[in-house]
Amino acid sequence: MRQPAAIVAAVLSLLLVSCSSPEPVDLGAGGSGNLVAAIAGEPDQLDPQKTTAYFSFEVLENVFDTLVAPDENLEMRPALAESWETSPDGLTWTFRLRDGVTWHDGSPFTADDVVYSYRRIMDEKLANVDKFSAVTDVSAPDPSTVVISVKQPTPNLLTNLGGFKGMAIVQRENVESGEIATRPVGTGPFSFESQKSGDSINLKANPDYWGGAPKIDGVTFRFISQPSTALSALQAGEVDWTDSVPTQRVDQLASDDSVNLSQIPSNDYWYLALNEAREPWSDPRVRQAIAYGIDRDAIVQSTSYGTAVGNQLAIPEGNPWYTPYDTYSYDIEKAKSLLAQAGASPRTLDMLVTSEYPETVTAAQVIADNLKPLGITVNIRTVDFATWLDEQNKGNFDMLMMGWLGNIDPDDFYYAQHHTDGSSNAQKFSNPDVDRLLDTGRIEIDRDKRKADYAEAATIIADQVSYIYLYNPSVIQAWSTGLSGYDARRDRAIRFKDAVLADSGE
Amino acid sequence: MASVPTHPVARFLARRLAYSAVVLVGVLIVVFALVHLVPGDPVRIALGTRYTPEAYEALRSASGLDRPLVEQFFGYIGSALTGNLGVSFRNGDPVTTILLDRLPATASLAVVGILLALLIALPAGIWAALHEGKISDAIVRITSQFGVSVPDFWMGILLIALFATTLGWLPTSGYRPLFVDPGGWLRHVILPALTVAMVAAAIMTRYIRAAVLEVAATGYVRTARSKGLPPRVVTFRHTVRNALVPILTITGIQLATILSGVIVVEVVFAWPGLGRLVFNSVESRDYPVIQGAVLLIAVLFLLINLLVDMLYAVVDPRIRLS
Repeated sequence: MRQPAAIVAAVLSLLLVSCSSPEPVDLGAGGSGNLVAAIAGEPDQLDPQKTTAYFSFEVLENVFDTLVAPDENLEMRPALAESWETSPDGLTWTFRLRDGVTWHDGSPFTADDVVYSYRRIMDEKLANVDKFSAVTDVSAPDPSTVVISVKQPTPNLLTNLGGFKGMAIVQRENVESGEIATRPVGTGPFSFESQKSGDSINLKANPDYWGGAPKIDGVTFRFISQPSTALSALQAGEVDWTDSVPTQRVDQLASDDSVNLSQIPSNDYWYLALNEAREPWSDPRVRQAIAYGIDRDAIVQSTSYGTAVGNQLAIPEGNPWYTPYDTYSYDIEKAKSLLAQAGASPRTLDMLVTSEYPETVTAAQVIADNLKPLGITVNIRTVDFATWLDEQNKGNFDMLMMGWLGNIDPDDFYYAQHHTDGSSNAQKFSNPDVDRLLDTGRIEIDRDKRKADYAEAATIIADQVSYIYLYNPSVIQAWSTGLSGYDARRDRAIRFKDAVLADSGE
Repeated sequence: MASVPTHPVARFLARRLAYSAVVLVGVLIVVFALVHLVPGDPVRIALGTRYTPEAYEALRSASGLDRPLVEQFFGYIGSALTGNLGVSFRNGDPVTTILLDRLPATASLAVVGILLALLIALPAGIWAALHEGKISDAIVRITSQFGVSVPDFWMGILLIALFATTLGWLPTSGYRPLFVDPGGWLRHVILPALTVAMVAAAIMTRYIRAAVLEVAATGYVRTARSKGLPPRVVTFRHTVRNALVPILTITGIQLATILSGVIVVEVVFAWPGLGRLVFNSVESRDYPVIQGAVLLIAVLFLLINLLVDMLYAVVDPRIRLS
């Protein structure tokens, strides 16, 4: 029995030694001047044109550039392109590229890289190929000029090219070597340094960045999926920033001076859609009855602890494309009378939701309760997301709940969803006025006219209940008081290029 | 067939090895069948929103799912036995590399966790058995009931709140490799290992108490006592020594349980181990990684069982000689 006792003593003394060291916890890899950001999951891969995971984009936002990029009001500003002009007929766009831009490996960035990147998306039909639906040709007449030809005037071309890092300019060599998925080379403010599987990714500041060298040494993205752990790490000073914040603690954090909390409505939105190919949901009055029959405030409260903002249209207030609309209220009597007018008395409603998006399951429970007084029994059908997509595409549902994420231009918000020929019109909505307005909006160059078109279309969509819009979730992020030069954005882009860290000597 | 080993220990081990091999074949069949048993088309499910007919065909042929079933089966067994477990659906990395990347973190957690658990459970279990029916026995039993009942994620969150956020003694989460940064490794491993150890220790304490009680009731212990041997000698040489076999068994089971991925604890502590890998792979339907991880866990289970069997023979001459 001597030996085990000795081992026990050794382990004990090790524990004591390590517990009693009072110095601040060592942050490990990366420079000591690195900003440490806790994100909620690990990127699946680091090829910006191929990944669909938000965790990847949180990292890649800082590594890659697009031709143009959205400012904080989501207006497109110069990025790799310094300036651009449109031909009088609106069919040719000419982009002048910034001089002296280099890739992280030191090689020069040229117009050929832009052509290669866009051709790759079009030729390989990558996930973002629909952003080029109007584009007929991309060419590089000289190393600092890119010409894009379109088949019709395309007012949202800039948003399509710059609104989303999936349209990043990538390096041919990096793609062809196959390294882009694990060792990406970009032109952005930080270069990829290393990844520890399941643990973290390190980025290093790019001293030659065209927008000026970052003021921090680099960024370490740690993968902390448990929100309470991420918050504890922030409070303990181990991380400087996180978006893995438990929503039930937002109120408490808002009054906590030791962390900065940001909560702004995003451009994302959640909605309900009724299957208009099925009776009795084909009658707009029946759909309106459901719109009056649900308690939107209760749904907001239960899905997000009140952090989301209720909205009866898709686009949140403060956005340049916002249209005010508040026709519906929680009014059971009105709902009953609409059902009576339509001569419909639905007994059951098959509601399709997915556990992949838990808010849909939670909201379904509230809705089931809301619709009871109307004599409607809601059968909540919870399936995995792949099955959900299949059922949606087959039209096998009475009602479903889902969200759209990351839209900027109004065409993104409405065309695919509500045009008769829209690719995401699973609810089979069809309205000639909406079709005409959406077709016009696509090619309308005059911005005020375009805004009026979309306001009218959106109003009809809500009046005729193609979607029952529910709410815009908030972008919730928290960071230490030592971090400045950073702000949360409504498009959820995480940009650390201007971040400054106060001396972490405390 | 080589000659049958004649030494009893060798024969014992040979039987155990053969048994493990049979189990391994069974595991391989189950792991292979996994992809074919899940409802729906695994390739379609893995692609999710990224689905296009081209991507579907590419992934289907890359993963070999377009070949005949029998060919796939022998192909899988053949490459699995040579250490090739295919590539991840997510990013094309070899599954073997991914698993080996994650093994050290989980092994650290398991070894430190089981040591801490033994440190708690051995004295507590023996103490409770020697004071059976007394108040200290009741305290140990109630505490262990408590330890079994408290969910591990809750325990983890409480430990983080106390030792990391409030006292600032230890980091909240994360991992450092032992051979790169030993001090960092130890500081990071303590809280997750303690969480794992609390649950394991609670279970082990009850087993150890029962095992010691059983031995203490036997005639030779009474004889030893009546011979006037000092209580310490009776306890350790006669009682605990004879209770070692069941103690080894429960320790082996607990070690294997921790190694097979304490998913929740790894998620709470952002620990880059096998449990979190399985969790993420299930979320993203990365079948090759799930298959590989299940296989690795099964092999670890078999190895630990084999080790425990060998230790039986070391601590108990009756097993070695019979």
